[in-house]
Amino acid sequence: MHTQHFPQLESVELIEQGFESFGYICSRKIATAVFLAFQLRKPILIEGPPGVGKTELAKTIALLLDTPLIRLQCYEGLDEAKALYEWKYGKQLLYTQVLKEKLGDLLQGATGLAESVEKLHQFGDIFYSEEFLEPRPLLKAMQQEKGAILLIDEVDKSDYEFESLLLEILSDYQISIPEIGTVKARTTPMVFLTSNNTRDISDALKRRCLHLYIPFPTVELEERIIRSRVPDVNEQLRHQLVGFVHSLRQLDLKKAPAISETIDWARSLVLLHANQLEEELVRSTLNVLLKYEEDIEATDNELRGLLSTSSSDTRTG
Amino acid sequence: MQSNLVDFIQVLRSHDIRVSPAETLDAVGVTTTLGYSDRNLLRDGLAMTLAKTPAEEVIFLDCFDRFFQQDLADFSSSDMPSDQDENKDLDSTDDTAAQTEDFSDSQLSALELASEKNPSLESLLQTPLMQNLLNNNRNELTLAINAAAQRVDLQKIQMFTQKGQFTRRILDAMGEEQIRNAVIELERAESPALAVLQRYRDILRQQVRDYVEREYLLHAEGKTQQFMDDILSKTRLNNIEHIYLHKVHELIRKMAKKLASRHSHKRRRLKRGQLNMAKTLRKGIPNDGVMFNTFWRQVKKEKPQILAVCDVSGSVAAYSKFLLLFLYSLQDILPKVRSFAFSSHLGEVSTYFDDYPVEKAIELVNWKYGGATDYGNSLMDFSKLALDDINSNTTVIILGDARNNNGDPKLDILQSIFQRARQVIWLNPESRRAWGSGDSEMLRYQSACHFTAECNNLKQLEHIVDQLLKRTR
Repeated sequence: MHTQHFPQLESVELIEQGFESFGYICSRKIATAVFLAFQLRKPILIEGPPGVGKTELAKTIALLLDTPLIRLQCYEGLDEAKALYEWKYGKQLLYTQVLKEKLGDLLQGATGLAESVEKLHQFGDIFYSEEFLEPRPLLKAMQQEKGAILLIDEVDKSDYEFESLLLEILSDYQISIPEIGTVKARTTPMVFLTSNNTRDISDALKRRCLHLYIPFPTVELEERIIRSRVPDVNEQLRHQLVGFVHSLRQLDLKKAPAISETIDWARSLVLLHANQLEEELVRSTLNVLLKYEEDIEATDNELRGLLSTSSSDTRTG
Repeated sequence: MQSNLVDFIQVLRSHDIRVSPAETLDAVGVTTTLGYSDRNLLRDGLAMTLAKTPAEEVIFLDCFDRFFQQDLADFSSSDMPSDQDENKDLDSTDDTAAQTEDFSDSQLSALELASEKNPSLESLLQTPLMQNLLNNNRNELTLAINAAAQRVDLQKIQMFTQKGQFTRRILDAMGEEQIRNAVIELERAESPALAVLQRYRDILRQQVRDYVEREYLLHAEGKTQQFMDDILSKTRLNNIEHIYLHKVHELIRKMAKKLASRHSHKRRRLKRGQLNMAKTLRKGIPNDGVMFNTFWRQVKKEKPQILAVCDVSGSVAAYSKFLLLFLYSLQDILPKVRSFAFSSHLGEVSTYFDDYPVEKAIELVNWKYGGATDYGNSLMDFSKLALDDINSNTTVIILGDARNNNGDPKLDILQSIFQRARQVIWLNPESRRAWGSGDSEMLRYQSACHFTAECNNLKQLEHIVDQLLKRTR
């Protein structure tokens, strides 16, 4: 197993710049986490509310390093046959058929049972071998020659058993297949795990990872994100809309709008040729930001107040 | 610096953050990779390896700031308002901020003047400690305090009562005795320099006291907390004072969470899932490859079910508060707990626990179901409410003293529950010797329980619940 060297990850500053060139504006903390993960060869467990760019982070690194991204989406009932490997049963069946036909040739000249069995043993057994192995995401990540980014998405949705399955991969970068032995990674992949915190992840898993919590961004950071993702928005509107989203996050909502929603909203405002936030405009596009009917109703009542505060922010800022 | 890091990890542990040796190694790796030059970078890096939840991160940041705080102790005599007042009274010299420079000069000359007549003061003025004090050399003095603290093992401070003792020891280690002696001599000689020297002594003492206070908060606050928790969990529940109630609540919550995380995912029911092709094939080989028997991947499904019944009558009032607290916490954490309360009649209280904060819920339960005990009647209510739901997956926990005021115990109902349920557990706050005495029906009820135990402090409660959850696996 050898390790790939990437000049793009040599320092925290370089990482920040690299991310920015791919339109991912990140805080210092995120860049530090990536730097450490690369230097220490450790997986990162990313937590945070949905839509703050957890998955995006892994995708951006794959772009930055120009390595394949292998993604495993977790869900309840995910097991090793879907995550690690599976045998190619059809081919294995055919193989036994072929073997049966060849059996006569193979055992020619053997007299007595003992000798036949011995001959049979000399014959290479490939019934369980890599040829009949169907790699699933985790095994595939181990097999990449030039390293890979392995994204294990929403690990909190999987079962406890699956977590234990991950432990070997996360600490030693290898997979044990009972019939064959251990498969070591050809090049250590960079592993990212994301979690929405729907349940506690076991200590054993946490211990093996760096822990990165991505909160909602600050106003300045979010403005930079919008500038990079939706460059068509003029400065005044950008300032207003970010301020508005931030004041929305202060309300008691079922689901607070995340960065991805802010970006979608900015895009829709550009499509509607808006130059500044107006009450009617916000009201009609609120469904881009908020995903629950109750949230939209609750916000509707307070819309005027929210708008006046976010525009007064503009003036003072 | 590495030992410094280990000290820091000790501090984290005392503040309830679990750091394993492997994580310590990771932290060392982080520090060597990042270096010590950028404080924020180092803080973020260490946070990623040592704090594993957002809540832990908050504690971590707090500890980090306190442990690696950089401000030096302040020994400048002039900017202490209280001292200025003293000066006004004692020296009656003009003492405005603009003139402090001249002032400290005049202090120095006063001391020098006095030292001509006093040999011990003269030698004192030559010591590095006094020199540093006079020149307000903050770096040197802070280092001196640190060194002295190291010598007297300040890090081992455990309780707040030790603060005075450690302050004294540090002062001694710094050579404060000399100042003290000089003060005594000046006092005898009624020298005018007395007040000046006294003031320097007080400044030094104050700084050391502050230093000890800070270190105490860092090292011992967690330990004192642990000590408190330890004591509380071993005290008989009816002896715990009211003021500790909120502490106990916190403790119980922790306990319940620990138990739940240890056991919640282990009680499962199997369900037929997908076809297990590999196994089917393998088992077909003896039949010439004909897949005669099919094998299925079993999907495991979680289904914990606990029914908890709690006596809230007068005789066990002191306990029931805590038992209800425990039920409340358990219900918060395990998904399928139904709680019932009774004295003369019984009712389900799960909804109170779901809807109200803990104090309010307990008050409501006590108000609604408190009164004289009637186990027979309550068991009848219970069977009406819940008997149909009891099956071989159900665990029934009964918390009560089994004192039935000589009424009909209705043992047959408990027996029918006993036959249906996987487990019936009775926790009795009375000691085993008192069971069966007077109006206690415990010995009879015991015959219809899988498990009975005496339970009157938190440690016992935790142990028993841990055991019972293990058995229900």
